[in-house]
Amino acid sequence: MRNFLAFIRRFRVLLVFALLQGVALSLYFTFVSFPRSQYLTTASYFSGAIFEFRNGITKHLKLSDNNTWLQNENIRLMEQLPVSFIKIESGKVSINDTVHRQQYDYMPATVINSTHDKRNNYFTLNVGKQQGVERGMGVFSSSGVVGVIHNTSNHFSVVKSCLTENINIDIIIEKTGQFGLLKWDGKDARRGTMYGVSNDTKVLKWSNVVTRGGGGIFPRGLNVGKVERTKVVEGKPLWDITILYSENYTAIQRVYIIKNLLKEEQYELENLIPVDQEK
Amino acid sequence: MNLFITHALRFIIFLLAQVLVLNQIEIGLGIQLIIYPLFILLLPVELKTIPLMLIAFVFGLFIDAFSNTYGLHTSALLIFAYMRPLVFKLFAPRDGYDILLETNVFNMGYRWYFKTFGILLLLHHFWFFMFEMFKLNELVFVIQKTFISVPLSIFLCLFLQYLFIKKTDQP
Repeated sequence: MRNFLAFIRRFRVLLVFALLQGVALSLYFTFVSFPRSQYLTTASYFSGAIFEFRNGITKHLKLSDNNTWLQNENIRLMEQLPVSFIKIESGKVSINDTVHRQQYDYMPATVINSTHDKRNNYFTLNVGKQQGVERGMGVFSSSGVVGVIHNTSNHFSVVKSCLTENINIDIIIEKTGQFGLLKWDGKDARRGTMYGVSNDTKVLKWSNVVTRGGGGIFPRGLNVGKVERTKVVEGKPLWDITILYSENYTAIQRVYIIKNLLKEEQYELENLIPVDQEK
Repeated sequence: MNLFITHALRFIIFLLAQVLVLNQIEIGLGIQLIIYPLFILLLPVELKTIPLMLIAFVFGLFIDAFSNTYGLHTSALLIFAYMRPLVFKLFAPRDGYDILLETNVFNMGYRWYFKTFGILLLLHHFWFFMFEMFKLNELVFVIQKTFISVPLSIFLCLFLQYLFIKKTDQP
C-alpha cells in the first residue's frame, strides 16, 4: 500500500495529465459522432448570444452580395408564377388538386457563425427548438445544399455542414442516375467528393449533381454541384469523383431549413424490413 | 495591479480575441492563427504543473465552447501546459528564473522566447491538427499546416506583446 501511494506521489503530474487528456479527447470524439448536449457548443445560450451580437455588426458588410442573391432568387421564383406563363389553350377548368400533398415545409434562418477552413466545419443558425427545429432536418440555400442540423438549443442550432468529413448526404448524378454519398476531404471549401459510384459505368464531366432524396431529409433535386474530375480509387472498383460545389460556403448567410412532414411515415415503413435479410 | 486580476482579465481578452476575431480569419492552406497559448506561457513561473494543467483545461473548454471543437483545443492546450515546466527547465537562464518577472519577450530575450514558445507551440499545433484529421495518410497535410501556422502564430504573439505589455526596465 505504501509503495502504491509512493507510486502515485511520484507520477501524480503524469496521472493528472492523463486523466484530463482522457476527459478532453473523449468529449471530442463523442461530439463528433453523436452530440449528447448543447453545452460547450455555439448552440448554447451564452455563446450563441455573443455570436448573434457579432453577426449584428458584421452582416452589413456583405449586404450588396446578399441583395444580389435575393434578387436572383426572386427572379427565379417569379419565372415560376402563373403570371409569367402565356396561356396556350384556353377554356380549361381549374381543379382543386387533391393528388398532391405538401411534403416539405421550409423555414428561413440566418447563419450567425461559420468557419470553412477547419477539418470539420459547423455553422450556427439563429433559430432553435422554439421555432421547431430538430436534429436531422436538412438545410439548404438558394444555390445549393448546406448541411444537416446536428444539435439544437432553445434559440440556436448547429449545422453539420457539407464541409465535414462524414456529411453523407445521398446524392445522384442527374443525367445518368448513378448515386453515392457526399464526403469532404478537408482541403478545399469549393470542392467535395462523391463516394460509392461503381467504375464500370461512365461519369460525364460537368454533369449536374443533385440530392437523391433517399434519406428523407432533402427533397429530390436540390443542387449540390457539378462533376469536376473523376479518378479511380486504388484497390476498389469505385470512382473518386470530385464535385465543384454550387454554393460558396465561405460567404454564406441566408439559408432555409427543410422539415419533411412525411418522415415518420417513411421511417416506420423502412423499419418493417427484416434486418437479417439485409445482407 | 494584482496578479490575479491581471490574469483573469487576460483570460477574457485572449478568449474573445481568439474566438471572435482570429477564428474568423481563414486565409486558406489550412492556416489557423492561434494566440491563446500565450496566456499559458505568461502565467507565473512558480506555478506547479498540476494547477497549470487545471487552468489550461478550463481555458481550453471555454475556447472549445466557442469554436465547436468540443475538447480538441483543450487537449492540445493540456500538452502545452504539461510540457511548459519541462521546456522551461531545459532553457533556464544560468542563475534560474526570477519569480517576480513575467516570462514575456522583454524580460527573457528573443532567443529564449523563440526557442521556448516555438517548441511548445509546435507541439501544440501538431497535436491539434493530428487529432483534427485523425488519419495517418494525411500526415503530410498535417505537417504542412503545422509548419505554416506556427511561425505566423509566433510572430503574431510577439507583435501582441509589443503592443500590450509595458516594457519594464531591467538592471
